[in-house]
Amino acid sequence: MTTSPLEVQEPDVDDVTVTDKPWIVVVWNDPVNLMSYVVYVFQKLFGYSREKATRLMLEVHHDGKSAVSDGTREKCEGDVARLHAHGLWATMEHPS
Amino acid sequence: MFFDLVGEGTIRVTFDEIEVELLRQIPSELQAIYQGTDADPARDRLFPRPYLDPTEEEAEQQWNAMVVPELLRERLEGLAAVLRTLDGGQVVRTVSGKEQTEVTLGPEDLDLWLGVLNDARLTLGSRLEITDDTNHREQWQLSPDDPETPARAAYLWLTTLQELLVETMLETLPEEPPD
Repeated sequence: MTTSPLEVQEPDVDDVTVTDKPWIVVVWNDPVNLMSYVVYVFQKLFGYSREKATRLMLEVHHDGKSAVSDGTREKCEGDVARLHAHGLWATMEHPS
Repeated sequence: MFFDLVGEGTIRVTFDEIEVELLRQIPSELQAIYQGTDADPARDRLFPRPYLDPTEEEAEQQWNAMVVPELLRERLEGLAAVLRTLDGGQVVRTVSGKEQTEVTLGPEDLDLWLGVLNDARLTLGSRLEITDDTNHREQWQLSPDDPETPARAAYLWLTTLQELLVETMLETLPEEPPD
């Protein structure tokens, strides 16, 4: 009896669409979180400058929400999880 | 409560006994909320839904099965860390004989404390139904007859403590990110 090598089915990469629009992560305003704390979280999680983190925080505060990061579904899920871990109210959406 | 800046990102906070008591109550109260099974707006706020799109039901189920337990585990670790730092605090006596506790918090402790304080404030904020229209000055008008006064006083005190700790942490972060 001879053993045949295990056949590996390679995925057909041609089927993968690479032109998909990125997902976006939205942070929503809430009446409890301190403005300084939100700036701290944006700087810590995303490595943004103080200026950019402050601008995003003010957007959340004045407009009720702000898109703070984007990318693949997996990346955005990671970002949302980190934001939730820090008590920020974040959701993710896929612009159609 | 008062504090000394010990070094970059490190402060020594001196708490009165009543403040230590309040801080010690937080972990068990938060744990009960984290692990509660009844509908609770406070828990919904701490563990929000990641998707607004109702067609993402499957992804949401996966999130609840995979991500939420991990977030819960991290939160419980934060609670344990706060209790540990309080246990490690040094009890000192003022000249008038009053007991106080000195706690030294480095950047790692501060980060964990901030998460716990924020959860405590979110929870109290939810219970006290604080909204954007809540007038800050009115919140300070505490009446001894109001049953909500202890929770309001705790919320305001935690806000002050959290502000102090955030400012300390912000000083450790660069204005511009390193290249």
